[in-house]
Amino acid sequence: MAAVAPNLVCFGACREASQQMWCNNHTSVVGSIAKPLLSVGWWLSSSGNNNSSRFQGNNNKAREDYYGNNFAGGATSSNSSRGVSRLHYCVVAAALAGPRAKDSLLVEAEERWQRALTNPLDGVSFTYEEFSDALSKYDFSFEVGDLVKGIVFKVDYNGALIDIGAKAPAHLPLQEACIFKLKSLEEVGLVPGIEEEFLILREDDDNGRMILSLRKLQYDLSWERCRQLQSDDVVIRGKVVLANKGGLVVQVEGLRGFVPFSQISARQDPEELVDKELPLKFLEVDEEQTRLVLSNRKALAESQSVFGIGSVVLGTVQTVKPYGAFIDMGGVSGLLHISQISHDRLTTVESVLAPGDKLKVMILSQDKDRGRISLSTKKLEPTPGDMLRNPALVYEKADEMAKTFRQRVAQAEAAAKAEELRLHQESGFALRADLAASANVLGLEELDLAASTSGED
Amino acid sequence: MKQKSWDIHLEEMMEAGVHFGHQARKWNPKMTSYIFTERKGIHILNLTQTARFLSEACDLLANAASGGKQFLIVGTKYQAADLVASAATRARCHYVNKKWLGGMLTNWSTIETRLQRFRDLEDKENMGLLNQLPKKEAANLKRQLAQLRKNLGGIKYMTSLPDIVIIIDQQKEFTAIQECITLGIPTICLVDTDCNPDLTDIPIPANDDARASIRWILNKLTSAIREGRYNSMEIK
Repeated sequence: MAAVAPNLVCFGACREASQQMWCNNHTSVVGSIAKPLLSVGWWLSSSGNNNSSRFQGNNNKAREDYYGNNFAGGATSSNSSRGVSRLHYCVVAAALAGPRAKDSLLVEAEERWQRALTNPLDGVSFTYEEFSDALSKYDFSFEVGDLVKGIVFKVDYNGALIDIGAKAPAHLPLQEACIFKLKSLEEVGLVPGIEEEFLILREDDDNGRMILSLRKLQYDLSWERCRQLQSDDVVIRGKVVLANKGGLVVQVEGLRGFVPFSQISARQDPEELVDKELPLKFLEVDEEQTRLVLSNRKALAESQSVFGIGSVVLGTVQTVKPYGAFIDMGGVSGLLHISQISHDRLTTVESVLAPGDKLKVMILSQDKDRGRISLSTKKLEPTPGDMLRNPALVYEKADEMAKTFRQRVAQAEAAAKAEELRLHQESGFALRADLAASANVLGLEELDLAASTSGED
Repeated sequence: MKQKSWDIHLEEMMEAGVHFGHQARKWNPKMTSYIFTERKGIHILNLTQTARFLSEACDLLANAASGGKQFLIVGTKYQAADLVASAATRARCHYVNKKWLGGMLTNWSTIETRLQRFRDLEDKENMGLLNQLPKKEAANLKRQLAQLRKNLGGIKYMTSLPDIVIIIDQQKEFTAIQECITLGIPTICLVDTDCNPDLTDIPIPANDDARASIRWILNKLTSAIREGRYNSMEIK
């Protein structure tokens, strides 16, 4: 485009050749005062030759024009490949426009440029060799996956620009700044001027601009915390996010974890639990497979009162499985194995128990670590087989039976101890350990034998 | 035109990362003479030439400043914006760090009108006249004032065309360079490996992306300007 203004010159680029010829012809003739006038004349005469292609890229500061002989050491018209000097048309502009102040500045600038080109090491405090040696020292290399420290210098709605000392500043997108969803980067505390550590996610531009991430670092931190909490066996609170087929999805430490239905001890519907907080304990923390399984029941088992072994508790049947039934006793659930329901052999549990049945059970053993309680109704039957025939009777007699059971257990223990002492007197230490073990077994598992032993004694 | 040493040290330059160019694929072949080598797919600029051109540029600025000339610093990149503003205020030059409006120099008469309006609005605001108007008009005028301040804040005190223009990224400020060429204003420009060194009067081959590099070069140039001004005051 040709910029046309009344008092400014139009710079159609003229053909090199014509320019050259004209200059060479008139070089010797001109004096300094006549130059501007001549240039004006030149311009007017060649105005028909208005090439509207702008200043050529080939804007070498040629001084082969009629100014050539004025400059010191100027190589002049032999540079035939040079194009029209900018100096040339600027002078023309100045001549027409008025003040010639800029003219001298431009001249000076040109001169300096030439000087710098022809005199490359003048005034430079180091040498070429020094430079090439020092290159390897100052090389930066940032690989994907590196941790870098950077200073934030600009924050906008898309992300932040961070200066990490590489060629170009790096970018931190909004999504990568935090595990949770963010509206703006200020929520994470990233304002211009803050220095922080980032992780390099990938290389983006051709300029070597890196994409950074804070999220990955936070994930690693969260997993580490979960592992620690698991080893410390701490109860934490997690918010239920949604309920799916197998259980509940909770959010804990910024990570999503899963609580299977079997591990939930609440009596409510799972759907009602959404958006509520539950006390949870870690069951499984596996970072490689991103598995995070938690348990509500385990957390509650701690807080529940410790049931004594041998005590009778009222419970409701929760679920019925082929190998037994899960009984819920005041929030804590235990397993009533099929063999422990009744003396008579049972094939299926469903024939005796259905979910929702209330019954009294006796606690056989409690495994605090796994939150498991083993139950039994066998011991509570006044006569063997009652569970099947007359559950109500068992229910009533439960307490009595339990008391009887405890008496018998105590007797069995006493008998075993006596036996032990006797044997100890006879045969010495070695046997004592054996007897002690067998006494326990006897006491709990085989009541009949205990009865007979006591009967013997 | 005395030669003066401007304290250009190799270590400082390399620390700031001045020698890094753009990726090797995105270069401008006219920069061949200024490129030292290619490493890991990135061009490395020849710092000896950078130092040389920088010292010439500083001399030019110092001389011009002692002659009482006006300067304009143009830098609209993200990385450069605040650096340009602070450097220019330190050196008492004009600056453009938001969008370069087309015709800022070639259409100077119109810009002058805008500056006049800017001054008027500012006076009105200082005198408190804006608060006496109805809400909507006041809001309109305040918005105008904010826009003017944003775009023309740096050239508030400019009365005529500047004498030398310093440009930070040639690719980004192409309009600015073209205007300066049209008007015959000498330019000093930071050229990177993807720029055209022939467009400007004194190219300074340097990294135009990293903040440290821009900051370092601007420091040198502005110290030269201040030096020149100080000398001129001394002479007086």
